[in-house]
Order: sequence, then structure tokens, then C-alpha cells
Amino acid sequence: MKAFFQLYLSNVKEFTRDRMAMFWTLAFPIVFILIFGIIFSGNNNPSYDIGLAVEDRGPIGAALGAVFGKVEVFKVTGGNRADLMAKFKKGDLSVVIVIPDGLTTALSGGQTAEVEVYYDASNQTTAQIVLTIVDKIVAGFDQQVTKRPTLLSVKPVKATASNLSSIDFLLPGILGMALMQLGLFGTAPALVQLREQQVLRRIGATPLSRTTLLASQVLHRLTIGVVQTALILIVGTLVFKLNVTGNILLLGGFVLMGALMFIAMGYLISGLAKTQESVVGISQFINFPMMFFSGLFIPVDIMPNWIRPLVLAMPLTYLADALRQVMVGANPVHSLATDFAVVALWLVVCAVLAVRFFRWE
Amino acid sequence: MAAIEARDLKKYYGATKAVDGISLTVEQGEVFGMLGPNGAGKTTTTEMIEGLRKPDAGSIHVLGHDVTRETAKVKNRIGVQLQTTALYPRLTVREVLDLFATFFPGEKRGTDELIDTMNLREKQNTLSKDLSGGQRQRLSVALALINKPDIVFFDEPTTGLDPQARRSMWETVRAIQKTGATVFLTTHYMEEAQLLCDRVAVVDAGKIIALDTPNALISQNFKEQAVEFDLKGEPPPEGTFRNLKGVTRPGVREGQHITIYTEETTLTLGGLTDLAEAGQIQFDDLHLRRATLEDVFLKLTGKRIRE
Repeated sequence: MKAFFQLYLSNVKEFTRDRMAMFWTLAFPIVFILIFGIIFSGNNNPSYDIGLAVEDRGPIGAALGAVFGKVEVFKVTGGNRADLMAKFKKGDLSVVIVIPDGLTTALSGGQTAEVEVYYDASNQTTAQIVLTIVDKIVAGFDQQVTKRPTLLSVKPVKATASNLSSIDFLLPGILGMALMQLGLFGTAPALVQLREQQVLRRIGATPLSRTTLLASQVLHRLTIGVVQTALILIVGTLVFKLNVTGNILLLGGFVLMGALMFIAMGYLISGLAKTQESVVGISQFINFPMMFFSGLFIPVDIMPNWIRPLVLAMPLTYLADALRQVMVGANPVHSLATDFAVVALWLVVCAVLAVRFFRWE
Repeated sequence: MAAIEARDLKKYYGATKAVDGISLTVEQGEVFGMLGPNGAGKTTTTEMIEGLRKPDAGSIHVLGHDVTRETAKVKNRIGVQLQTTALYPRLTVREVLDLFATFFPGEKRGTDELIDTMNLREKQNTLSKDLSGGQRQRLSVALALINKPDIVFFDEPTTGLDPQARRSMWETVRAIQKTGATVFLTTHYMEEAQLLCDRVAVVDAGKIIALDTPNALISQNFKEQAVEFDLKGEPPPEGTFRNLKGVTRPGVREGQHITIYTEETTLTLGGLTDLAEAGQIQFDDLHLRRATLEDVFLKLTGKRIRE
């Protein structure tokens, strides 16, 4: 036991006496959260640049145009079709709405008419949102024009209890991602591996058990992970007014489990990879898909159906879900027990395989 | 009881035969060396004896213990000096010694005693990355001595050291032998093997090609002395040197550098000067020396130890 603690302390000393390593290791989570915080803090009040061309000369067209102008999230620019299309092509406008000539005449005569909406197919997110709003407005307007009685309508009721911003929802995912980067890439760098191999060789000549040595290294990595997590939470709270509503112990438990799981995964990759260079390659191969397919930043719902099984297979999906539930009380995608079980299972499997494939020589 | 008893050790890495049937016995209290070029299998053999690697075939007993079965017992009784370039670069000398001390359960030498023995008092609080090559070697020796080992293994102990540091290391090895410990060292420097070792195993390509005391090895293979010189200009016809008086065997030619072996040095030297006076050859930098282990190696394998 004494050897274990001395080894652990030695690793800590090595780390804390290496200013550069400390700086990058600790700066990383801070930069991480600052970047994401800045990106996502602006989304609370989105606005879309709309061009509106009213070609209709009757009263209905004008009235419809006025309704568009009153939509909160629309920043409307009026003008004629040609000018607006030019601006649209330049990218100054996201969407151009054209209320065509003869609209009033057609509708008054009981004929159909169409409002033209020009949108950029490459900007799906914006397009979806704007089209939905336009559709709703036109439908509502249509009803007024045709004077059909409204029998059925929608009443939106805000369900989440506390006053949460988007950063609150994103932060758990960011945390999960940070833990993944840590585990996978903390083990990977060739220099780290080389040194650890040398340490293994020299200490392997002493009666010290190899398990003790490995355990001290893992604990060291875990400590760094916890410190980085704490930094993310502190900076998040101070700078972005993060609201952590959940149980700190439960949060700590999931963080530790998640960190350990990814550390084990990192060791497993190192053990399986044939060459040093391929370690980073394999780690990236796992890192990127998990980042995007765990539902951290891009909602799973917009992805094609065949992706869903992949999402369910990723451990990060469950870790992030658990973190979201614990940290900000988000609505669970899976039950906390399920999340715990899946992450724990991944942890055990990775750890066992990592030890099995570890290269002592 | 022998300090080390190795029988028919083999270690293969795929198709490469790193160690291909090595047997040796090391007596307690002797300084035993393995001499050979890089890649000969010295390090692999040593690691198998130390219990770091498992042999694919063969057996090893250290102080009566089977290394593969009683690995921990063996590791308690041995000390290993490895070339560790940057094990814990940001720990001080004291800290590294204190750390390693926790790995050994039994009787130990104190950190202060080791620091004084290895002359590291001035540098005891220096980070190990800031030590000079010689100081780092002394630290690695100190680490090997913590548990008062019966056998100390040295792995290429003077590689990369300046002449003064080398001599200092040689004295350390002798001092360790004087305490009664057995020393097992690997090296590719023949003067080191010749100077330090009671017995030497000459290795090449995973096999021992000769094993004896340095003097016996030399005199068994060479009754002659070696005459070396650099040829200038065109070499003379084939066999000219072979025919000089006293020359007993074909010499060795490496580019312009000639080595010939003779039992009658005066006669041979006379013959050479005659050739020079007759204008048949021109040479430079002539010198005479006793045959060494390098010559033994050259004779037995056709290669030099150091390329």
C-alpha cells in the first residue's frame, strides 16, 4: 500500500512540476467550455432575416404582409422581388417570401392562391424553422379569410420547472465529451506511452506487483479527470451562470464512472494497437462518431432512422443522459438506472479487456 | 550453489531468433560479462534471467530459485541497473531513491547511505532530468543497490559516458564485487569486458560462440600479436603479407586498414620495412599490439563487434 501511494504521489509530483503539461491539461477544459458557452449562449433569442415582397395590390396581400412583420423572430426587409432575391443569393437573407400579384383577386373569388417561399436548402435547420412558422401563419390567416370556426387548437405549456438556459442543457454533454477526450487521449501520446513503457520495464525488475503500478497510473489519470471536471463546472457556473440543480454525490459518481470507462478504453486501444501511431488514429475513429452520434449537440431526432441503433450503442449517449438528468433535471431519455447499468457494463468490459491485452513487455 | 544457472534459453519473436539456445553458469562472487554487438541477444537474455521476460524454452535458476516460478523471490535478491533515460524526470535524486525503496519488502540500504556511496550528495535535490550522463548512471546504480542484492545486473553501463565517467563506473563495479556480490554485465566494449570480467561469454546472433576468461579466450585463439597499419596507394599483390616471415594466418583488410597476425614480430616488421624500401608498399600509422577480444570476435564471426 505504501508503494501504491508513493507511486501515485510521484505521478502527481511529475505532473505538477511540469508547467507546460499542467497548463495545457488544465487550460483545455476551460477553453472547451468557453468556446461552447459562447457558441450556445447566443441561441436564446434567435432571429431570422426574412425578405418580404408584396406584389399583390389588394388588401389581403398587405394584411398578410403585416402579419409576417409582427413575428417576433423575423427581421423583415421589404422590397421588390429582384432586389430581395439578389440579397438572398448574397446570403444577407435566409428566406424570401413573395406574396404574388393577384392574390386578393383569387381569394375573393373563392380560388386558391399560393404564397411563395424561397429558402436555402443547404441550411436545413433555419429552413425548417422558418417554413414551419410561415406555414402556421398562412394556415391561421387562411382560416380567418375563409372564416372557418376554430374548433381545435394548440396550447403550449412550458414543462420544465426551473429557469434553464440552453447552456444548462448542453453542459452535461460537453462534460461527457471532455471526459471522453481525457480518457482516450490521455493515454495516447507517444511520449507518454514511451515513458510508461520504460517505467514498466524498470519497475518490472523489482518485486512490486504490476497491478499496483497500473492502478497508481489509473488513479493519477482519474484525479486529473476530476480536476478538469471541477474546472468545467466552476467556469460554467461563474461565467455562464450554469445552474446545477442535482445531487453532487450522484454527479460525482457518474463522472468517476464515466472517466474510468474512457480511461479503460484508452488503455485498451493502446494495448490492441499494433503501432504507436495507430493509437491516435483508432482513438479519433472512436472519438468523432461518438461526439456526433451521442445526441450531445445535434438532436437525435433529425438523424435518419438507421442511425438510431448506433446512437443506442454508444456509451456516451447514456452517460450524457445521466449527467443531464442529474445536473439540470432534464427529462430522461433513459431511466437513470439504465444509464448507470450501461456505463457500468462498458466500464467493466473495457477494464477487463484492457488488463487482458495490456502489453507488459 | 551457482548464482545463475541458465540452460538452453530460447526466445523467438515471430521468425526472429533473438536468443537461440544459450546456456551459462555464473558462480557467486564473480564478474561475468556478455560481450557482443547490438542485437546479439544480450539484453533479451539478461531480461529473461531478471524475470522480466518469459523464455520460450529453457530454464533459469537464480540462487537456486526457478525464475519463472518464484519470480518475486528472485526480484528481491537482485538489483538491476538499467539505462533509464527519463524515468521520473521531475523527481529529485532523493525522491526517486525513496520511491524505489518502497518496492522492496526486506532489508534495505538507506537513501543517505546510497547517496554518499554513489557520490551524489551534491545533487541529492536535483531533478533527475537535470543530471549529467555520468550522474544519471550513478543514480541508476544506486537504485540497483537499494535492496542489498546478491546479484547486480549492469546493462551496457558505460554507453555514452566520457572516459572519466567510464573509469569511475568500472571502479564502481569492482567495488560492488568486493562487497561479495555477483555481477552480471552486458557490453559491446571489448576493453570493458577484458578489464572487468572474470569470465566472458561472447555472443552473436542469439548464440554463445565462446565462453572463458578473457586471457584464455585470447590465448586459445591467438598466440600471435597483431600488426596494424594503413596502406597508402595501391595494395600489393594478393598474399604478399601472408608470405612475410612470422605471419601465421591470413590477415584482415578493411579498406586501407590492414591487420596481420604474427608469432615473430621482429621478423615481420623487418619484412614490412624491406617491402617499403623496395618501393612495393607504402604505409602509415604502424603499430603493434597484443590480440584482444575484438580480434577473437573477428576471427570467430568475421565481423567486428562495433560496426
